[in-house]
Formats: sequence, structure tokens, C-alpha cells
Amino acid sequence: MVKSVPAWLRILSVVFVALTALILLAPLIVVVGVSVSESQFIAFPPNGLSLRWYSQVLSSNAYLGAGWISIQIALMVTGFATLIGGAAAIAIHRRQLPFSDVLATVFLSPLVLPTIIYAIGMLMFWSSAFGPVSPVTLALSHTIIALPYVVRTTLAVLAESNPYLEEAARTMGANRLQRLWFVVVPQCIPGLAAGAFFAFNISFDEAVLSLFLRGPTLTTLPVQIYGQLEFSPDPSVAAVSTIMIALTIVLIFVIDRMLGLTKFASA
Amino acid sequence: MANVRLTSIQKSFAKTAVLHSISLDIASGEFISLLGASGCGKTTLLRIVAGLESVTAGAVEIDGRDVTGLPPEKRDIAMMFQSYALLPHLSVAENVRFPLRMRGIGNREEQAERVKAALETVQLGHLSERKPRQLSGGQQQRVALARAIVSKPKVLLLDEPLSNLDARLREDMQVELIEIHQRLGLTTIFVTHDQEEALSLSDRIVLLNAGRVEQEGTPAQIYSQPATGFASNFIGSANLLPAEIFEGPDGPVARFADGQALALARTETARGAVTVALRQEDLSLSAEGNGPRAKVRTRVFLGARNRYVMSLAGQPLRALTANDLDFADGQEVSLAIDPARVRIIRD
Amino acid sequence: MNDRMENLLLALPGLLLLVLAFFLPIGQMLVLSVTGPEGPLAPFVRFLSDPYYLGILWRTVRLSLLITLICGAIGFPLAYIMTKVGPRLRLWLVVMVILPLMTSVVVRTFGWMVLLSRSGLIPEMLRDMGLVGRNFALMQTETAIVIGMVQVLLPFMALSILGVLTRIDGRLEEAARTMGCSFLQTIRTVVLPLALPGIVAGSLLCFTLSASAFITPNLLGGTRIQVLAASIYKSVTATPDWPFAAAQAVILFAGIALVLVPYIKMTGARNG
Repeated sequence: MVKSVPAWLRILSVVFVALTALILLAPLIVVVGVSVSESQFIAFPPNGLSLRWYSQVLSSNAYLGAGWISIQIALMVTGFATLIGGAAAIAIHRRQLPFSDVLATVFLSPLVLPTIIYAIGMLMFWSSAFGPVSPVTLALSHTIIALPYVVRTTLAVLAESNPYLEEAARTMGANRLQRLWFVVVPQCIPGLAAGAFFAFNISFDEAVLSLFLRGPTLTTLPVQIYGQLEFSPDPSVAAVSTIMIALTIVLIFVIDRMLGLTKFASA
Repeated sequence: MANVRLTSIQKSFAKTAVLHSISLDIASGEFISLLGASGCGKTTLLRIVAGLESVTAGAVEIDGRDVTGLPPEKRDIAMMFQSYALLPHLSVAENVRFPLRMRGIGNREEQAERVKAALETVQLGHLSERKPRQLSGGQQQRVALARAIVSKPKVLLLDEPLSNLDARLREDMQVELIEIHQRLGLTTIFVTHDQEEALSLSDRIVLLNAGRVEQEGTPAQIYSQPATGFASNFIGSANLLPAEIFEGPDGPVARFADGQALALARTETARGAVTVALRQEDLSLSAEGNGPRAKVRTRVFLGARNRYVMSLAGQPLRALTANDLDFADGQEVSLAIDPARVRIIRD
Repeated sequence: MNDRMENLLLALPGLLLLVLAFFLPIGQMLVLSVTGPEGPLAPFVRFLSDPYYLGILWRTVRLSLLITLICGAIGFPLAYIMTKVGPRLRLWLVVMVILPLMTSVVVRTFGWMVLLSRSGLIPEMLRDMGLVGRNFALMQTETAIVIGMVQVLLPFMALSILGVLTRIDGRLEEAARTMGCSFLQTIRTVVLPLALPGIVAGSLLCFTLSASAFITPNLLGGTRIQVLAASIYKSVTATPDWPFAAAQAVILFAGIALVLVPYIKMTGARNG
């Protein structure tokens, strides 16, 4: 197939891919470049080379606090979304409930609604019904937008599993709980793992809900960065951003090792 | 080991009846085949014995105990699925141990011993630590068999277990199934659409058609005395030709639509319009002869044998012959058949 | 305990969470948007009769369409190339798409702020090449918003199309070639029609996400060039006017539903 592509098109596609890579990766490269600059001001290409902005970040209570909150919330979201979404996916997959199709649509619906609309609704409703927002509130709202991903990845692996496993387990004497725990859950694991990665990443990077639901003591890392960018960006923002990029790279590496990145990307 | 008794089993899916009042007595230690084309209800019947499907009416008894309302996990059965249904996350040994673990049979050492014995029975002792996906289809099949026999169930249910194997492996597995059945003496219900499998494995065959028992009997009975047109067509895929029986000078004669006649056994009592069943392998062909003449349409080379497709009285007629018999397309050949081998089905 | 009970128990935590923290809040917002203190529907009247807000609405639609179009024009060839290269190169291309996707929008927008700023690399280069005048600026323009948003949304488009393209039987293209199609004809008559579901899905996703984005437009376009989502954010934070914010959200939602509903109907009819 590749052989029969005209030569000029092949050259064109190499140029095209290179340009696309530049568009996609340029902002990340620039951020990393700025972070190692010696200069007081944001400059790219960087002047000189230093890690002073990193040490400044690591001694900044604002950044460390925000980072800690981000991690706490992301871990909560990962746990909530994986448990709740995985259980729901099993129920949807079995198609034994009379409204299974509706159920699937309900669980995937947060995917369709723009986050900003949900964020306003959540802000108004929560503060009027339950008072000021807490980290748990924010984690619950992140869970809502992460839930469809967990449901989708789990449904995908369940769809590929042998449909007779549960029946086979019944003929081997497994009761309800044993079937769930020893047969169904192990089949879900790759999907749950992919969903957990999605959930962690979505929560850790999420800025819209976190901006609407922020509070004096509830500032996540993206919100902290957004605030800096609106008012007084300095190279320390680049250092924090670079740390976030590095975390993403680690996450991608782990995902590729555990699940295969190409497969994950098509989920 | 136990007997199984099915009493007037009926099953409907959303008002469509798939099983019409089926009753069956299966003796302890018997190997019985449910044979039929796809959609005849044989798998549904098996699943009803397993408890995976409820009955619309009727009762299932295992070992003298009514189990109609019991879920599969409470019936002492084992089932082998067409797709094997091995648990992909467990090793071979863990798969085989699964029924023991779920049923709480024996302690860890006893379980390990029984797993080892079961795996040796199917000659897979050396692969116990592999995962199912690292095994060939035939090996997976053996694991499934080991898993089915390890708990020494009262009834062993086999749902077309050989249909995913290639011809060679299938023959090996048939021999192995017979040996295991002889050794363990498990009451076995075997579902298949393959008449050869049913004929070679079973003590008894139940031929199902459209949710009813068409005929039941030993393999020899089913093969040599098919009771109905369906049975003779399904077993040995006989040629079915409409004919009329007259009293000839030398006994009864079947006359086909084109006036040609075929001599029948003197003991044949039927007269008038019937269907004549002629087995492919019972027909012999010759260029010169005084039997009914058929026109060769085409020859199919099968290796060890030839199949000739001919036409007789406007009907297709197939015959299996030795592979050195050579007729040209369009040639007229003479048919001969032992009158005792001709089956007459009254319309 | 029967099957239905067990499955209901499994789905229950999720259903409870969705009702309490998703459907109820949105329902309440819908109610609030029509029952403001200024009287029913007043926020809508205010929005739809003010040329300033109508301008914001028009800009949002215009930019979203443009961004979607560019994403499609880059995303389709990119996804197609990804299906045709070897597994090693494909992995790197996937990394190239996933890495930005999994990086926070704030971080990526920051990169563009540096690149597009008055003394940034891109305006400098353009000035050095003599393509633009000394006063040329990119920051706080619609162009900056489009550049930033394309980078943010291109991965969504590429992955949507890639998902569909990988499921197309490669032999179809070979068959088309044996029947006398040139390479470009094959793309036009075989690949594009088959990839259409992915292109449509990706476009809807891009349009929805760009119409509802405010972080990138705020940071790159500044307060002068506002889009609808940014205006909503302002109504919530700067001048707390919740009914007005809710009304704008409803308008955004209605606009997106206008685009999405025919699509969902279409795919729903096809699947069932």
C-alpha cells in the first residue's frame, strides 16, 4: 500500500507530520525552556541555565499547598470513579435491568454536557443546598466527569470477554458473590486500570470545575497556575508547569507499559 | 453418578415454543447424545438440565431429587461449553481447581491432588502453570474437560465441545471422551449437530427436530432403522425419493415418477405413495446393469471416495463410490442396492 | 436476592451520585435561569437584546466553526498517516497526540502566551522576516485564540477519526486501487466516506468544547475579546449575577443541543 503512494505526497506527509508535531508540542517545549531560564522574566529561548525556579517552587507554600490538594483530590476521584463506574459498567453490561440502554446513556451523559455549564449548576446548587464547597465537593464533581471514561473503558473490556464465563462459574458451584469477585471483576481489571488513569489525569489537570468551586483553602494546581497567568506570570509558573508535564510523561510511560498506549488512545 | 429424569419439559421464549413436552429417562452412567440441527432446541434442553434456563412447564430430576427450581450452582453438575469458557486470568491448575474451591471440596492438599489427577487424565500435567491463552485450542479443550470432571459431578453436560477443533483433533478427542467415560462412568449428556460424533460416542441417541423428539435409540437402531424422513435424511444423509409401491411379479416394487422401478424386499408391506430413502453409501453404480438408470450430473472427488451427483426422475440423487469408478458427466448409469437396505417411509 | 436486585445495587451508587451531583444541579440551574428576581425570562431578554452580548455569541459561533474546520483539516490527514505507518512510528505519533491531550489546558495555554507575546518567538520571527510591521501583535487577538484552541482540540479530532479509520478494512483501499482508482481518488471515494462518522463525531466534540472553552480564550484573547463561556465566568465571579450566568449557560446549552441532537438522532436510528 505504502509503495503505491506518489512520491510527492510522501514528502508532503513528512513535512505535514513535522509541522503538526511542532504545533502540538511547541507550547510544552517552550514551557520547559522558560523553566530553566536564569532570567527574572519569562523569556524563550531561555537565557542561561538554572534550576533556581524549581527551588523557588519547592519552597513556595502556595504551590506546595495547591499541589497537595490536587493530589488528594485526584486520588479521591480515582477511587470514587473506578469503584462507582466499574460497578455501574458491570450492571450495564449484564443487560438484566429493564432499562439497561437508558442506564448507559445516563452514565455517559456528563461527557456531552460542557463542563462550564455543569460547573455553574454545581456551584449554585451545592452552595444553596449544602453550604460552602469542600475538597470532597470538588472531588465528587470531578468524579462525575471522570465517570463516563471508567464506564466506557470497563464496558469495552467486558464486551470482549467470553460471555459464558459467569454461566460456567455457576455450573462450577460459584454463588452470586463468588461470581462477581472471582469471575467478573478480574475480567474488568484492564478497563478499570485504564479508567483509573483517565480519572487521575482528568482530575489532576481539570481547571474549569476547580475554578468555579475554588475557595480560599481550596485551590488546585491548575487554578493556582491560572491565577498566576492572569496577573503576574514569572518563570516559577513554568517550573510548576514543567513538573506537571513530567508527571504526564511518567503517566504515559506507565500506561504504555501496563496497557499499551495505542489501545488506550482508542478507548 | 446419578440418573436424570426429564418429565414433559416445555420451554417458550417470548411466546415462541422451542421445546414441546420432552420426556427423557437417562440411566446412571449412560452416555446420551442430543442430536439435531441448529435451532432444534438441543442446547436449550441441556441448559435446562444445567439450570441455566428455567422451564415453562415440566420437571427435572437428578438422582431422584427434583431440582427444577434449583439454580445451577446448587445442582451437582459440570458443564463444558462450546467456547470452553476458561477463566483467562487463572492458570490451568487454578481453572481446574475452581469448582473445588467454589464448592468447598477438600482442603488445599486434597484439591491439589485432584487437580493433578484430573490434568493427568487429559494428559496436560506438564502445562498446569500456563495461562489459557498460551494453549492451543485442543489443549484448552482438555483443560475444560479436566475442569468438568475434577469435582466428580453427578451429571456431565457437554455442549458441542468438539465443534471448534479441526478434524484430526476431533477424532483424537472422541477416543479420549470414550475412554474417560468408561473409566469414570459419569452420566453424560452430549449435545451435537454432528451425526458421526453422536454415532461413535453414545450409548443412546435422542434425535431432536423443531423442539420434539424425532426418534431415540441406540446408534445402531438410529442408523439402520430411521423412523421418519427427517431421521433418515439427517443420519447418513439419505436420498429421499417419492415413489409408489406396486405388487410386481417378483414381490413389491417401488415405481418412481418417470416409471422406472426398484425391487424391494419381499417382506415390505407398504403399498401406495411413499418416500423411498436410499443411503449414499449403500448405492452401487455400474455402466451396464438392469436397475433404474440415473444420469450423472457431476462428480466430486473426496480423496478416498467419489461422490456422484445424478438425477433420477427429476430428483437429485447422490452416491458415494470407490474413487476408481469413472463415469463421464451426462452418462447414464445403472443403480443397484440391497433390497434390505432400502427404507420405506410411509407418507 | 435476584439478578435484577444485584445489578440495581451495583448501579445504585453511581445513580445516586449522578442524581445528587449532576442532574439536580443542572435542573436547578435551568429553573434559576427563568425565575430571576427581575421577572421570568428577564435575563434572556437582556442577553438577546444587547448588541454587545449578541456580538459575543456571534464571535463564539464563528471562532468555534473556524477552529473545528482547521482541526478537521489537520486531524484527518494526521489520523490517516497514523494508520499507515509502522507500529513504532505510530506509537511516537500517538505520544505526540496524547502528551498535549493529557497536559493541563492551563499549562499549554501558558506556552502559547510565551510564544505569541509581543516579544515572543513567533511575532519576532514574523517581524524579522519582514512579513509584518513593527506594531504587529498576536496576543489579545482572535488569531491567538484560534491558534491556542486548535492545539488544545486537535488531539480530540485526530483520535476520533483514528478510532474509525483503524476499523476500516485495509483491503478496501487495495481493492479500489486494483479497480483503477488513483491514490487520491481512493482517499476521496473510499476512505473519506468510511471515515465520515469519525469526522462528524470529532467535529461535534471540537465544536462543543471550543464553544464552551474560556480558559484559553481568556488568557490569549484578554478581557477585550470575550467569548460566551468567558462572559459566563465573568457573570459568576466578577459581578455575581447568577440568574444571568444561568441564562447564558442555557443559551450555550441550547446552541450545542441544536448541533448535537440531530447527530444523536441520526446515530441512534442507525444503531437501533
